[in-house]
Amino acid sequence: MQHGFANATRRARIFGLALVLLGALPLRAQSSTPASPAPAPVAMREVVDEFGRTVRVPQIPARIVSLAPSLTETVYALGAQDRLVGDTDYCDFPPDAQKKAKVGGPINPNLEEIAALHPDLVLVTKEINRLDTVRALDTLGIPAYATDARNVDEILSTTQKLADVLGVPENGKSLTSDLQSRLAELHAKLEPFPPSRVLFIVWTEPLISVGKNTFIADALRKADAASIVESTQDWPQMSLEEVVRLRPEYLVFAESHSDAGSRDFEVLANRPGWNILDAVRNHHFAVISDAVNRPAPRIVSAIEDLARQLHPGAFQEAPAPEKPATPAPSNPPAAAPVRMTHNTQPLSLEFACAR
Amino acid sequence: MRPLTLTRLLLRCGILTAILFAVVILALKLGAVQVSLYGLTRDLIQVLLGHSNNISSDYVLIVLNIRLPRILLAIVVGASLSVAGVSFQALLRNPLADPYVLGISTGAAVGSILALIVENQLNLPPEYAGLITPFGAFLGAALTIAAVYILGRRDGQVDSNTLLLGGIITASFLAAIVTFLMSTLAGSNLRGASYWLMGSLSTLPPKSLLYLLAVGFLAAAGAIYTTASDLNLLLAGEKEAMHLGVDVPRVRIVVYLAASILTGLAVSVSGAIGYVGLLVPHVMRLIFGSDHRMLLPASALGGAIALVVADTAARTLVAPSELSVGAVTAMVGAPFFIYLLRRRMA
Amino acid sequence: MSSPLRHPLPGDPSRATTDVRLSVEQVSYAYAPNPSQAPLFTLEAMSFQAKPGELVAILGPNASGKSTLLKLISGALQPLSGRIFLNGFETHSLPVKTRAQRIALVQQESRLLFPSRAWEFVMQGRHAHGGGLRFESEEDILITNNALAQVGATELADRWMDKISGGEKQRIILARALAQQPLLLLLDEPTLHLDIGAQVDLLESLRRLAAQNRYTVVVVTHELNLTGEYADQVVLMQRGKCLRVGPPATVLQREILEQVFQAPLSVEIAPSGRPRVTLFTNK
Repeated sequence: MQHGFANATRRARIFGLALVLLGALPLRAQSSTPASPAPAPVAMREVVDEFGRTVRVPQIPARIVSLAPSLTETVYALGAQDRLVGDTDYCDFPPDAQKKAKVGGPINPNLEEIAALHPDLVLVTKEINRLDTVRALDTLGIPAYATDARNVDEILSTTQKLADVLGVPENGKSLTSDLQSRLAELHAKLEPFPPSRVLFIVWTEPLISVGKNTFIADALRKADAASIVESTQDWPQMSLEEVVRLRPEYLVFAESHSDAGSRDFEVLANRPGWNILDAVRNHHFAVISDAVNRPAPRIVSAIEDLARQLHPGAFQEAPAPEKPATPAPSNPPAAAPVRMTHNTQPLSLEFACAR
Repeated sequence: MRPLTLTRLLLRCGILTAILFAVVILALKLGAVQVSLYGLTRDLIQVLLGHSNNISSDYVLIVLNIRLPRILLAIVVGASLSVAGVSFQALLRNPLADPYVLGISTGAAVGSILALIVENQLNLPPEYAGLITPFGAFLGAALTIAAVYILGRRDGQVDSNTLLLGGIITASFLAAIVTFLMSTLAGSNLRGASYWLMGSLSTLPPKSLLYLLAVGFLAAAGAIYTTASDLNLLLAGEKEAMHLGVDVPRVRIVVYLAASILTGLAVSVSGAIGYVGLLVPHVMRLIFGSDHRMLLPASALGGAIALVVADTAARTLVAPSELSVGAVTAMVGAPFFIYLLRRRMA
Repeated sequence: MSSPLRHPLPGDPSRATTDVRLSVEQVSYAYAPNPSQAPLFTLEAMSFQAKPGELVAILGPNASGKSTLLKLISGALQPLSGRIFLNGFETHSLPVKTRAQRIALVQQESRLLFPSRAWEFVMQGRHAHGGGLRFESEEDILITNNALAQVGATELADRWMDKISGGEKQRIILARALAQQPLLLLLDEPTLHLDIGAQVDLLESLRRLAAQNRYTVVVVTHELNLTGEYADQVVLMQRGKCLRVGPPATVLQREILEQVFQAPLSVEIAPSGRPRVTLFTNK
């Protein structure tokens, strides 16, 4: 009986036909160019992002989507927020960022939402976003610019490069020079003082700190605080034994409210065995803004804040610095940057409503 | 007495295909971006006629470039997992078998994590970069398949019980390796790995990968289908099957390899999505009976339908965020499995 | 009966002329679970022959090697020495599918993973005659119905296999073997779980089928009286050795039976010429 083979062939053919029909759609759909939202021919240029990828972006991007809270903050700091059309669910600073259209989380943003906003530039960072997201955006023909800032200096240079890409290089220059001078000033003030040994606490249960190659560890260094953690992992888990052996002078917490920081300390202090630490017995802990967790311009304020808490002796003189006063960054036309204030209080007003 | 005939088979498959089609249209309609059914149909017809440039609204292009590949991926993965599930249940003579019981998904996990690590060291052109992780995952799966095969032999032949034992042990061992690797990964790698392990269809596959998957599915599923009536007899017992004319060693190898390849392909692109490979075969068996000549194509179509539905739910229920599709299949699958157990049909 | 039930072997000219269908020639076997150890079990060289329409009983106590001999005949095992011929073809060297077209083995139990209906079960017997992607034809359906009729199980056709009694299941299993349309029908202790009425029914059916369809039936058993009553030829075995081969009257004799079965027995010859064995207890 030859039915067997004929049956098989016929079935395979029908199945294959169905699959081909369904598969024909994308073939034909993609025969035309992907959605190009810019109405008239727009001047484009090529830039190289921090991954080494060459990206074609408009001369002045008009519709920007940010896929990381740090990038959103930077866009605002550069005064380009009017051109920001979408950001992530977690973009909460400054408060105005919460009003922008949301495209989901940084790890798994909704591609449809992004595409529906017709962006001509999407900003991503290696720290939070996934490579697959970048590839998906490439496939859709949406330019994606990736940043990768691994220490404080790179945060500043990233900010400058981003300013160039966004078409506001002057804002970038003034912002970064201001931040650099603040850091230099801080460095000068802190020079005579030996660095404090600190343990930066990301999470209490289990106890997680930051590795020495992270930008957070670098930020600590700039505040004349040396993280006792030697690990090269980004978020190493620590045991009490290790912490005792390394003897930190201070525990550092990053929280949006100072009360939360005190609470964290109490929780840790009441754990069995933690009383061994000098830092716990002497109540030596510092609470800084959670801005330290984001590689954005605001981290400099957190650094200054930490320095003040750890080395109050360096800041005895009047707040007026030696060099000429540096006011808030000059306003480029039709842009209102966020005020970067110098503040002697442990927690500045700008952080109070950050959540 | 009503034996299965070709007409009946085609009719039932035709009904299932029609359901699949309807589900696909629905899935194309739903999503974070609203699309009207009328507009969608009109534009789809334009596309099929080759007039893609006539489409005024470019959101439909979004639909076709984002949703459609994802739906197609769900179809191939769902069909692959279900066919693999049927095959392993027959091969291992165990109704609780699913495609991952022999450790293939864990091997793929190891492969994909290692690929993630390697990927960051290399700097590949974009056409190839997207293929490293699936390739690594498939390589991990293939090595696991070979290892379990060697472990699962007795007297030179694949033996069901030994295979099951060997597979379970390999799975545990590989899972330990996965845990170890995850603990050594740096931040962004870790995130990527965790995301992959959850099982998701949201990564836009390159077109070449989709075609490769489809071809692989047709080849492997076709190979299994040639043994369909042998599988019917195998379920009655291996000795009996031999005396009824089944070349048992040959059937076992063909089914093992083909089903493992199906699993490996599916897992390489989507991570380990659970419950589909376990439950769809049982549901199809409840409806259509245990004849594998009907069960295999029915499970393929049923699996495609199930996964398209699950994936659509995953990406629309909490839009613009997404649930992982593995979470959706588990939330629906586990209670359903309990229900089946109580009916004592599982 | 009509031709569908008698399936002539293609290309086998010897069928019409030779009387001997099954020929076991100096067959021996050894089984060692571990290649380095001495063989645990051996079957010493033995020979016998069987004709179409004959019912052969392989008789012996437990662990005498009966099942092993049956497996050798079925082609599942390869003899250590000697050969087994079925109509001139060596059973072990036949491809599995061809073997299944000529030899049907009925085992005691059938473990079904997923329940099926009786007719589906019987139809499995047709696999050897088609298989692959082939769907069952009208002829297959006819043969299946016939097989069910021959074991008197027509009304069981639509019942689920896990819902029928042991005796009914036995009949369905036999029907499946019949659906294979074999030349050789092998049964391994088929009467084990049956009551005496069912045992007699079964043996009657086997004798009838052997005569009608010209099967050669080989039954492994340790039932003395059923053997005496129904077998045309008896192969008496003890501990891997074949002690005697022949018609029941010559094999079932008191001295040798007592020695093999280790029980006091007495044998009478009934008017039909068949021996009857009774337990001989001391008064």
